[in-house]
Amino acid sequence: MARSMLIITRQSPWSGPSAREALDIVLAGGAFELPLGLLFLDDGVFQLVAEQKAGRLEQKDLTANLQALPMFGIESLYAAQRSLSERGLDEARLSLPVELLDDAGLSALINRYDHVITL
Amino acid sequence: MATLHLLSHSPFSDDRLVSCLRLLAADDALLLCGDAVYALQSGTSQRKALELMPDSVALFALDEDLCARGLGDLPPRLQQVDYGGFVELCCRYDRTNSWL
Amino acid sequence: MKFAIALFSPAHSPASRRALRFAEAALESGHEIVRIFLYQDGVHSASANTVTMQDELDLGEQWARFISQHKLDAVVCIAAGLRRGVLDQQEANRYRRPAANLAAGWELSGLGQLHEASQQADRLVCFGGH
Repeated sequence: MARSMLIITRQSPWSGPSAREALDIVLAGGAFELPLGLLFLDDGVFQLVAEQKAGRLEQKDLTANLQALPMFGIESLYAAQRSLSERGLDEARLSLPVELLDDAGLSALINRYDHVITL
Repeated sequence: MATLHLLSHSPFSDDRLVSCLRLLAADDALLLCGDAVYALQSGTSQRKALELMPDSVALFALDEDLCARGLGDLPPRLQQVDYGGFVELCCRYDRTNSWL
Repeated sequence: MKFAIALFSPAHSPASRRALRFAEAALESGHEIVRIFLYQDGVHSASANTVTMQDELDLGEQWARFISQHKLDAVVCIAAGLRRGVLDQQEANRYRRPAANLAAGWELSGLGQLHEASQQADRLVCFGGH
């Protein structure tokens, strides 16, 4: 049975390549049809804000790539409820369908996976 | 199925420790290395937060980092490990989660 | 146990030294290292171009020697490497860059190698940040 991996992304899309490099790990695993999960935690939840304009910073559009994840067979997407509320983000207006987790849910999520990478 | 969380950033300039403490499961463990050992500094809220973790959560620190920084007055619950101990902890716990 | 070790920060970071000392201890304890994988700024740990002063630790050199001595599978993520200017001769030629600087013993390859190592390993341990 394949070993599962949870990728936790904690950086905003605009703080450097970390958000994209987290996504690249997910996409690479998806290409091999591995059991993967992606959790948006802390500033990582800023990746979920709708209607961002990457072009203004001469960056590629991360949102479009994130929205394509289900096409690559990656549907286990999660976000930390606390991180959203701390940052004043409306759970109902995110750019991706994510399962929201409270702190207990986050601990349980991590402990379900064989490997974890937190970027 | 417990997790060993690895922290290496100073808790005074960074929110990784706070974020980590919120999602520790009952049997998880914390290994402090690098500047994260500053969380053990006495008289700080970070030290208090570590002391207030449930007894079931094991607290470890890499000995070389404690020694290099001249940290004394360590909490009784803290277990110091060397690299051999670090390796053993990674085997003992089901997974590691490094807060990079 | 089989370990996969991933490193995300450069040779001058404490995390790089910590990763190496961990890797050494893992082998000394009788474990196996399936692969060392460099990602993000970790690719700089495989640069042959860093210069350290004589009284400073040359971690790039220590990593290269460790890999060679134990015949370890040591991979640098090619996408992360290109972005940060860590190239082998093939990539330097392909992109017409003035120099190849990948240290001996390391190989440029894709993220698939990280996943393959994770599938083979009992434990994946990541080092990075500070």
